[in-house]
Amino acid sequence: MNPLSRWLRHATLDAESRQRLAAWRAQPNANRASPFSDARYVVVDVESTGLDLTRDRLVAIGAVAVCEGKIKLSDSFEIILRQEQVSSTDNILIHGIGGESQRSGLPQAQALLEFLDYLGKSPLVAFHVSFDATLIRHAFQTYLGVDFRQPWLDLAYVLPALKPEFSRSHKSLDHWLGHFRIGNYARHNALADAFATAQLLLAVLPMAQSRHISDYRGLQSLEKAQRWLSWAS
Amino acid sequence: MPIDAALIAATVDHLSRHAPFDRMAQTHLAWLAERLKIGYYGKGEAVLAPEHGAAQTFYIIKQGIVRGEREGEAAWLELHEGECFPIGALLSRRAAISHFRAETDVFCYELPAADFHSLLDLSPPFHAFCTLRLADLLAQSQRQTQARYLSASTEQQSLESSLGSLTRRDPITCSPDTPLRQTLEIMREQGIGSIVVTQADAQPLGIFTVRDLIGRVILPNTPLDTPIHALMSPQPLGLPPSAHAFEAALAMAKHGFRHVLVVDDNRLVGVISEKDLFSLQRIGVTQISSAIRTANGLSQLQQAAQDIRQLGHNMLAQGVGAEQLTLLLSTLNDLLTQRVIELECADSALDRICWLAFGSEGRLEQTLATDQDNGIIFEVHAGEDPEAVRAECLVLAERINRALDACGFPLCRGQIMAMNPKWCLSLDEWKALFARWIDAGDPEALLNASIFFDFRPLYGPTQPARELRNWLNRYIHDQRPFLKLMMQNALYNTPPLGLVRDFVIDSGGKHPNTIDLKVNGITPFIDAARIFALSAGLSESGTVPRLRAAAAIWKIDTAKVGGWISAFLFIQTLRLKLHQEQLAQGLPLTSHLDPNSLSALDRRILKESFRQAKSLQATLKNYFQF
Repeated sequence: MNPLSRWLRHATLDAESRQRLAAWRAQPNANRASPFSDARYVVVDVESTGLDLTRDRLVAIGAVAVCEGKIKLSDSFEIILRQEQVSSTDNILIHGIGGESQRSGLPQAQALLEFLDYLGKSPLVAFHVSFDATLIRHAFQTYLGVDFRQPWLDLAYVLPALKPEFSRSHKSLDHWLGHFRIGNYARHNALADAFATAQLLLAVLPMAQSRHISDYRGLQSLEKAQRWLSWAS
Repeated sequence: MPIDAALIAATVDHLSRHAPFDRMAQTHLAWLAERLKIGYYGKGEAVLAPEHGAAQTFYIIKQGIVRGEREGEAAWLELHEGECFPIGALLSRRAAISHFRAETDVFCYELPAADFHSLLDLSPPFHAFCTLRLADLLAQSQRQTQARYLSASTEQQSLESSLGSLTRRDPITCSPDTPLRQTLEIMREQGIGSIVVTQADAQPLGIFTVRDLIGRVILPNTPLDTPIHALMSPQPLGLPPSAHAFEAALAMAKHGFRHVLVVDDNRLVGVISEKDLFSLQRIGVTQISSAIRTANGLSQLQQAAQDIRQLGHNMLAQGVGAEQLTLLLSTLNDLLTQRVIELECADSALDRICWLAFGSEGRLEQTLATDQDNGIIFEVHAGEDPEAVRAECLVLAERINRALDACGFPLCRGQIMAMNPKWCLSLDEWKALFARWIDAGDPEALLNASIFFDFRPLYGPTQPARELRNWLNRYIHDQRPFLKLMMQNALYNTPPLGLVRDFVIDSGGKHPNTIDLKVNGITPFIDAARIFALSAGLSESGTVPRLRAAAAIWKIDTAKVGGWISAFLFIQTLRLKLHQEQLAQGLPLTSHLDPNSLSALDRRILKESFRQAKSLQATLKNYFQF
């Protein structure tokens, strides 16, 4: 989507939506150098109509916050986005969001605004960021005309960097959840997966600390280094 | 429904798989979940320590194992998924006493202290759970408090209650000079079956019951103006109001009475009848004991033996505790055995044999599955050939053993019976045998010690048994190495507690996936109690009395000993229940329990009981480092 059509989309939003968007923009950016014990991170997982990033659309967002090194159960978020076209049966079987729920979800623009309200400017965390980030960014462009460029941290790189002895055997989210014996009450449910991923983040924080990494920026550097390493190997 | 309710619902769902959350209202669980945070503790990390100051957080383990340790104490505590800490510290708003450390990677649900206190007010089951567990804050023994669940469930039934609480109305009395006619009129007016004869100061002199009418009034044609003191049964049995109901039941069984007076400082305060104690039961203790006493042949005794078992079932179903139940069963079995012996040797030289009970019978800890473990001490008069006396005793013993077998006490597979010449010995021979075992100290001797050293006289003169006990205590006192061997042997038997799973179960063999409640459950307690008793020269043969007496001598913390005893009795209760189920299904009686068949709470108490066994073993090791 080019800047012009984005602008067009933005211009067609109602006044209230524009106001909410402006209010979110006005919030100060999170300080990525705040210590873990004084920061809020939002762990995100999404469900989509399929695995094709260019064609498939966002169906649901699940998010769980990690505040000051702990998960707060009440600080969690789940939303289903309304779909004009319901996804295929195979896909429904994966995430369990049926056609009825897909049709009765919130209108996309409103759903994304709710997500922004919940998120604030907190840095984001996910496992295999490229998937979640691309779908969310695409949705923001399409429905709100917003270029969503918040910082993301990818645990799929951070974990092998902290535990290199498992970097070859542990590739998927399930491997790492199994490693820490973290249960998942409903796999392929956006919120349940985000909750499980948030517990992984809890385990990551003290490990990082023992390497003298004490803030989000430090974790991002660790992720970057691991990306180079995985390219090289 | 708020949009984030799914996570709360999933957490409520998880919590409600564990006590006490399984009994809490859904709304209160949701209230709790909304306030929870989740924290992570890497393996080895401290979760909570005394130096952190007054407890700020209530922890519920979401996943992983936390180990609680107290400074300077060998006992430790392993907490698993769904278990909570530090309740005592939060209740009394002080620092935790134990160090809590993550034994594996641990995730905990965490609730701020203020919300913990709000939840106490909000949810009665949660309140009950927290306060019951710590009813004894001074003792701070979590193990013991978990055993309180047990007494909570047995409190309703009568045998645990005090006699004072059972006496319903003021006793009906009359003075010793009251004429018979007037006495009977009082009894009819009041609708009572017994009347207590008292002095003016309420001191009881005797009791008169309707049962006495036939023998003392009607048949002898006693004039109705006879004063009652001439007809009453004098010196009635009295117990203080603080005595437990089961003591009254025992007294009735022993003496064949149907009434026990409740006497406080020589003053009559009430009367307890057998009906009061077992109003719900078809078979009464005294019926059985008097049936045994008056039995003239094997068939009557067989019936009585069946009734004893039925009584055991009824009492178990009523939730009577293991200590009272095994004691009562043993007492009745004693009576039965005594009567069998009496009948079998009606025309024999009775005065020279002392019949001994060994093993569980010797310890007064019989359950429903009981085979024979017995022997004889015979007396040899001057100039007699011991072999001739033995031969005579053996003939008698075989008859007794077979009669007991017919009454449902199977012959001992290990041949530990009086009819075996090895266990039919004179006092000197017993002493020599015990001395040989103690001097040898080999595995066989240790095994024998664990059976024979729990001996108790059951019939005939008790003097030889007492003498043997005194001699044994003296002899073993100078043989510390043997005690040490016994201790090492006892410590080999580690309670089946698992680190990853709750229990270590038998993987193969005849009973796969089970725990042996006898070998791994009660035996560690029995072995330790025996070593304490032998070392202290105690005359007790039962495990609970031995532990209590040893505790007094060594000044072991009473709360600690209470924990051991509760644990031992809990495992005994599980065994009794298991036997009852097996009998109901017509299965052979074993002590192999599938831990998965237990309720979550019983599993936790059993786990706790095994930890108690570990604590007892640690103490044993401490006391016998010589």
